[in-house]
Amino acid sequence: MSDALKQSLDLSMFWEYRAILLQGLIFNVLVFLCAASVALSVGLGAALLRINRLWPMRLIGTLHVEIFRNAPDYIMLVWVHFVLPLLIGIAIRRRVEFHPFTSAVIALGFVYSGYFAEGFRAGIQAIPQGNLDAGRSFGMSERLILWRIILPQVVRRMLPEALNLFVSMFKATTIVSLIAVPDLMYNVSMVIQQEMRPLPLYTGAAITYFLLIFLLSVGVRHFGERWRRTSMA
Amino acid sequence: MSIARAARESAPIFMSQVLSQVPNEAPSQVLSEVPSIRVAGIHKRFGPLEVLRGVSFDVPRGSVVSVIGASGSGKSTLLRCVNHLEPPDAGEIYIEGEPLGARVDARGNRKARSLAEINAMRRELGVVFQQFNLWPHMTVLGNVIEAPIRVRKLPRKEAVAYGEECLRRVRMIDKANEYPARLSGGQQQRAAIARALAMRPKAMLFDEATSSLDPELTDEVLGVMRELAADGTTMIVVTHEMSFAREVSDRVIFLHQGLVEEEGPPGDVFGAPKSERLQQFLSKYRKQ
Repeated sequence: MSDALKQSLDLSMFWEYRAILLQGLIFNVLVFLCAASVALSVGLGAALLRINRLWPMRLIGTLHVEIFRNAPDYIMLVWVHFVLPLLIGIAIRRRVEFHPFTSAVIALGFVYSGYFAEGFRAGIQAIPQGNLDAGRSFGMSERLILWRIILPQVVRRMLPEALNLFVSMFKATTIVSLIAVPDLMYNVSMVIQQEMRPLPLYTGAAITYFLLIFLLSVGVRHFGERWRRTSMA
Repeated sequence: MSIARAARESAPIFMSQVLSQVPNEAPSQVLSEVPSIRVAGIHKRFGPLEVLRGVSFDVPRGSVVSVIGASGSGKSTLLRCVNHLEPPDAGEIYIEGEPLGARVDARGNRKARSLAEINAMRRELGVVFQQFNLWPHMTVLGNVIEAPIRVRKLPRKEAVAYGEECLRRVRMIDKANEYPARLSGGQQQRAAIARALAMRPKAMLFDEATSSLDPELTDEVLGVMRELAADGTTMIVVTHEMSFAREVSDRVIFLHQGLVEEEGPPGDVFGAPKSERLQQFLSKYRKQ
């Protein structure tokens, strides 16, 4: 075995810095949770626009989906962090700066909102009209029908696809180090600059990400599927 | 067109106006004369197709009115108009004298109701659909208590107690915790009837409730409907089950091309049909 390979598999260095690396990982999780909330709520909003009765609303919804679904998250992140504050600054004639964490949440949240919007839209349109007729016939308001009849079914239908999206989203949180959010990758590079030993640190980071995402998605799939199957048409 | 029908269509009596003119001391006598549901001159058009061309009839409280007619005669559209799932283009529905789609103020001016007001009126009518339309993500009991809790704002405990009573009535209490996907069509339809009953509606509307069921499953649903009729439930029943209509109804309405072609007590309509169209329609069923 070559020395380089041995070095790359020796994870004691990774373990040595576990405190700072764990702190970074917590940032990944925080960015993920906040961006996921943004993606879900903005995505639902865009989906409702896309199925609105009025065509200007539908146009706005479609533009939203097309713009954000077709923008690379890497570029969106840089654009939101460096260009968007400039534009806002010009508009309100004041210097604006985004905290890196804020930029990361906005960029990832909006990019993935495009995907979630399509999932929501397809899920909503797949619900039989009769389900809605039944709700209306009992005097349920459109709002009540959305929250009690449509969305619970949409969530069940979307779950497998949503899980995939969440996995890619969590992986995408690794690029936030680019704009100096102190996440796991950012801290790994800091340690590498000190220790000059990239191999064990990168390997450790890879294994950490893999284990975390793998275990979480297996868990969600296991419990989610059982819940989904018992209560779907 | 008969003179009586022409008169009914052109001048429906607005019961709320009648009521407001009646002195306060004798409301019970007047109320008993107010039909539970009055269908007055309903027109409905889908693009160039005029599906309903002025349909009027009364459903007195505690009575069963069956609507029969060939496919495409407007039966289902009529029922959907009765609770404004399809707002009628002209005409009005009255529920115990109150117009469903409009309000009449003290001066007698009509004002269209908002969607929220129509929703509030709709809950007085329990609808049973051809395709059951149970909500698949809720258990049978969940389906039954949903609207009483969310719309009627009943406390959960009360809704469950009454929901279970309704499920007992349709003999579905042992399936209360099942999801609809695990039930047969007949069981789903009985659960849907319980769901409608749980709202304590003033009247029940059945839209071809047995048409999508296998023949061996229709009887269990018709049995439940028969019991409801015997208990004095006000019902409008759109149906293809002629023997059921004959046996259970107080009045039968034959719809043809969006108009009431003939109506009367079941003995007359089935025993001595006057119009040629009804005779033709019934002979098709006799052959079967």
